[in-house]
Amino acid sequence: MSSYVKGSRLVLPYSTPMNRRSLLGYGAAAGLGAAAMRYGGAFAQSSDTGVDPDTWTPEFITSQAGTLEVDTAAEVGAVVPLDYAGKLTYWYAFEPENEPAISLEMDEAFWAAFKETYPNIEVEFTRQTYNDMLDKTRTAALGKAAPMVAKMPILWGVEFAAGGHLMGLAPEDVGYPTAEYWPGAMKSVTWDGQTYGVPTNNETMAFIWNAAIFEEAGLDPESAPATWDDVVAYSAQIKENTGKSGYGMVARVNAGNTPFRFMPQMWAYGGGALDEAEASPTYESVYANNEGSIAALQASYDMYVRDQSVPVSALTNTQNENADPFIAGQLAMVISHPSEYAKMRDLAEKAEGADAEIAANVVEHMRYGLIPEGPARRAVVFGGSNIHIFNPDVVDGDSDLDAARALISFMTGPEWSTRLSWVGSNPSNSRGFQTSWMKERIETIPFLDVTTSMLPYGIPFPVIPESTEIMNIIIPEMLQNALTETMSVEDSANDAASKIEGVLSGL
Amino acid sequence: MVNHRGDYLYILPALVVMMVVIAYPIYFTIRLSFFDHGRALQFDDLEWVGLDNYRLLLTGAYSREFWNVTQNTLVWTVFSTAGAFFLGLGAALVVQREFIGRGIVRGILLIPWVISAVAAAYIWRWLYHSDYGLISGILTDLGLIDRNIIFLDDVDLVMPALIVANIWKEFPFAMIMLLAGLQTVPEGLNRAAMVDGASTWHRFWHVTAPHLKSVTLITVLLLTVQNLNSFTTVFIMTAGGPANASQIWVTDIYRIAFNRTNFDVASAYSVILFGVMAVLGYFYVRALTRGDSTRSTV
Repeated sequence: MSSYVKGSRLVLPYSTPMNRRSLLGYGAAAGLGAAAMRYGGAFAQSSDTGVDPDTWTPEFITSQAGTLEVDTAAEVGAVVPLDYAGKLTYWYAFEPENEPAISLEMDEAFWAAFKETYPNIEVEFTRQTYNDMLDKTRTAALGKAAPMVAKMPILWGVEFAAGGHLMGLAPEDVGYPTAEYWPGAMKSVTWDGQTYGVPTNNETMAFIWNAAIFEEAGLDPESAPATWDDVVAYSAQIKENTGKSGYGMVARVNAGNTPFRFMPQMWAYGGGALDEAEASPTYESVYANNEGSIAALQASYDMYVRDQSVPVSALTNTQNENADPFIAGQLAMVISHPSEYAKMRDLAEKAEGADAEIAANVVEHMRYGLIPEGPARRAVVFGGSNIHIFNPDVVDGDSDLDAARALISFMTGPEWSTRLSWVGSNPSNSRGFQTSWMKERIETIPFLDVTTSMLPYGIPFPVIPESTEIMNIIIPEMLQNALTETMSVEDSANDAASKIEGVLSGL
Repeated sequence: MVNHRGDYLYILPALVVMMVVIAYPIYFTIRLSFFDHGRALQFDDLEWVGLDNYRLLLTGAYSREFWNVTQNTLVWTVFSTAGAFFLGLGAALVVQREFIGRGIVRGILLIPWVISAVAAAYIWRWLYHSDYGLISGILTDLGLIDRNIIFLDDVDLVMPALIVANIWKEFPFAMIMLLAGLQTVPEGLNRAAMVDGASTWHRFWHVTAPHLKSVTLITVLLLTVQNLNSFTTVFIMTAGGPANASQIWVTDIYRIAFNRTNFDVASAYSVILFGVMAVLGYFYVRALTRGDSTRSTV
């Protein structure tokens, strides 16, 4: 395998003194962290993410919410003075047209609050679409035209770190102890022993279904399928009895939505791309063609080819394209974020005439449950995003590291890591779970407790630079080869395994 | 002897711009095709590998995909070019005649050409959508089909579906070119042939077609180059899928470079495409300048 270069380390120009309030907060966070660690061995994947299922119950999360007052300005002011004058460029994946209205409101509130807190820091921000941002950022970094700061999905950072494009950056550099972030999230910003970013939010998805379609199909409307085999059977029954699509499969190549939906299925059957679902992954063993992976692929084949119970357009769809059939009452089951409910409610409010009635009925019958389990485990992708500082030598123009630290500190603290992930995710900063904003979220966002209780089943993608190619290209191509019958299920899995081996060998 | 020094001065600014935006990228790409940049993508730390990237592509790890994609590219280029040319020729023959509303018809036929390629690709994507596409919807309403036609998610139908969309986008170009060519056909010759009792087909074949020879050659060459270089339609509608069934050279180069981050192999790929283009470019220039020497000696 080719060698990688290590990035330069961020040098702190300002000291980061802790005041009494933040010290109390850190103490509480350390307590939360310790609680999480205590039960570390309960589930195989809990040791990867640091989120223990026995501790992080919906009741525990609710009991913590609203117990901490946060003074964000004081905390970030201790990192970079509030009168600091500077300028920075910032990229992030955000598609207002595909977000619920509340997410856009929070995003705008964030920028207003940052401007108020740091009136002399000018931020030139660029919103990118999720599916385009990776290619654009790669090109920009190679062309020495990268932004100073970028918030990127959890899967991408290590590739840039390994390429020497990122600066070393740890939570301590922006005023927070590493203990405030999930070990799984910290792992995703660590390459070759060095930390290259700070987590901004962590998410796990859940299983969503339309209870009305379940009832119409003769299924129990209030129960999610317990296993992935049940998903296959439910999907077929729904198609057979209602003519509607059962499961909202997503199999587009180079779309992040695909691995986020297929990998939990693969892991549940005991498969994987590599050994990432094992308790102590080495990322050296290829699992793409093991029995579990083949079983998972066969389940998808059964739904798409044998039963034809999923949307045919699954091969060209991202999850965004599943929203319309779901709100139209033509699709019964999807895997998605807690934000899906808010998104559907927005769509229902915009619907007119007969569509409005159908959409309102769908929202009323939306249910959330745990993602089904398989013979090996219950699993979900431990996702989210991290924020990074690009090395000055790949940045377009001069880098202003203090302006960058001010933004990152502001964004990853308990307040904004909670508010920015309002309906879509969870705060990366564990103190965020104790804030009044978290309490408000729990009280106002339906099903948040379900998606949050999926956290303990989270499995991080392999923390290797090749991960993006494996997850975004090789795994979806494996699915497409099987679903189009270009190859048999087994040959598709073997082909993917051989490609992964090729990628790992530096080909 | 004429002194051309002044002429060179006039073209110097254009030459400088071309050197920067064309010659340097070509040089960089050709050079990169002989190196391995490693997975870390540090372009300043390249390792010389000779023809390895070409070997990987033509006979090595990428060869199976490369030859499949080459086959797709040939199908795409030949059928798109032929389709756009013949549809354009038909349209040109129709709109060159005098009839009421000819201007409006010409304007309508030009719409596909002036619509943004991105917008057109999205429109076609939704027309073809396998679950909720307008085409299947209309055919179902008319009772002609009882289940949706799977255009873009079927490995056998995807390429024909894309070619139809591409022909729709390109035929106005052929129409305009051939319409210009038709203006050069002497009306007197046509009338004389009519007086002699020549049928419509004979008039077209023996009078019109010979006058369209040059413009046909240039149009076909330009369409071929355009289709070989085509990216937007395929990338937006299918991104080369499903299962790479609609992958063509240019989208595959993008996929290898930006999705799989193998810029070195993608560079070798680009050099091969560049070679094919250079050959086509040579014939294009030859077709374009044919007769220049004759004229200059008159």
